Amino acid sequence: MRHSIHHHPDESLLLAYAAGGCDEVTGLIVATHMAFCAQCRAAVRLMEKVGGGLLETLPASALSDNALAATLARLDEAVPVSPAPRTSSEDGTPEPLRGYLGGDLSRVRWRRMGPSLAYLPLLKRGAVSAKLLRGAPGTEVGTHSHRGLEYTLVLSGGFSDVTGRYGPGDLQVADHAVRHSPIADPDGDCINLAVTTAPLKFENLIQKIAGPLFGF
Amino acid sequence: MMPGPKPPVHHPAFIKRGITHVLSTNQAGPRINLIHMPRAAVESAMLAHVQTADISRFRPVFRGRSSVRLPMTRPTEALAMDALLRRVAEMRDRAAFAALFGHFAPRIKAYLMRLGAPAAQAEDLAQDAMLNLWRKAHLFDPAKASAATWLFTIARNLRIDAIRREKRPQLDPEDFLPEAEPAADQAMALADDEGRLRAALKHLPPDQIAVIEQSFFADKPHSQIALELGIPLGTVKSRLRLAMARLKSALGDMP
Repeated sequence: MRHSIHHHPDESLLLAYAAGGCDEVTGLIVATHMAFCAQCRAAVRLMEKVGGGLLETLPASALSDNALAATLARLDEAVPVSPAPRTSSEDGTPEPLRGYLGGDLSRVRWRRMGPSLAYLPLLKRGAVSAKLLRGAPGTEVGTHSHRGLEYTLVLSGGFSDVTGRYGPGDLQVADHAVRHSPIADPDGDCINLAVTTAPLKFENLIQKIAGPLFGF
Repeated sequence: MMPGPKPPVHHPAFIKRGITHVLSTNQAGPRINLIHMPRAAVESAMLAHVQTADISRFRPVFRGRSSVRLPMTRPTEALAMDALLRRVAEMRDRAAFAALFGHFAPRIKAYLMRLGAPAAQAEDLAQDAMLNLWRKAHLFDPAKASAATWLFTIARNLRIDAIRREKRPQLDPEDFLPEAEPAADQAMALADDEGRLRAALKHLPPDQIAVIEQSFFADKPHSQIALELGIPLGTVKSRLRLAMARLKSALGDMP
């Protein structure tokens, strides 16, 4: 987390998270970026204050006559379930990723996908899905373009493509206008959290066939 | 020739709390100059007023180290809400809860209805949000946000949970080092900041405020909002960027 972050979610994405408008899968990658990025945490705090300001200015909508009495009567109810006790991380894997992984990144049971790539499906809601990806040093993912959006958050290591270099905490957002061939840094494994809203369009024949089998 | 100063009015609620710098009144309501007064005393004095008087007429002007910017831009009412919430946390005060309920529950209901919830469900969720406030009041930190902002996040999360039936991926503040958050004794200055933010919000150009409001109230992605407004997505994004930059600068040195 000492790496300085150069690639952030834009205001639109941060605001969708702050306003409660983005889906859970996209929320996972935005919030995990925020765990790396004090600047975006501050931006979202500001946006929540805007939400508070808007709430304050909404014209009140009348409640039924017994609403207050009914709520007062519930104040002494036993609190349903207390949240699970906080578990700490041994390798610095932050929430909310830790919760979705069920533990630390270093304990992930990877599924192999060829000699240098491994992955783990994490979360899927409709067409939007999140995966962990691990590339060995220097791995080339293969040239692809996008039918929807592809969000890539570097968790450790780094990669480069035509749009620049991405290190821990950096979030890349690629849309239909982006055609790229990301290459993992040569000096260590690159571990990413990736979210796609539609299957990728690979150009290599083998990947075209294999991609859908692995859910890409 | 200027009229001479009116004799000072000493409200018993203030004197009891050791506040003696109550200097003058005017036609519009009590006008009070408070100098170097502990925050707790301000809050408890205001609470006394909330309980005994029409708070819309209560417009103190703060002077002194922590609030040199005049006039105070944050609605007094909002500061009183924070104080009520602290009272719920510290004393489990049901009268304070009822006052908060009267102010916020109808607004939370309106917020949920704007997002498409039917009236009955919006009212149920508004009650749940207030119940959450009662149970989690000890977590409220006025140095970080106002009662309105805190309740907005509660209502937002309840809606995701109950209506969208999803979880909201949440950060754990213990995962990172404490940031340059304002210390608790700067809460008054922060309250001012939030007031300035709201004033700045009112002064945004209409096309910017429209995309901000849609972001909070439309439950649609920005691409859809762009379609409906008949403008490119890039224009929606640039309006959001301009609006947020303007609101951020309204907060001056805030991060």
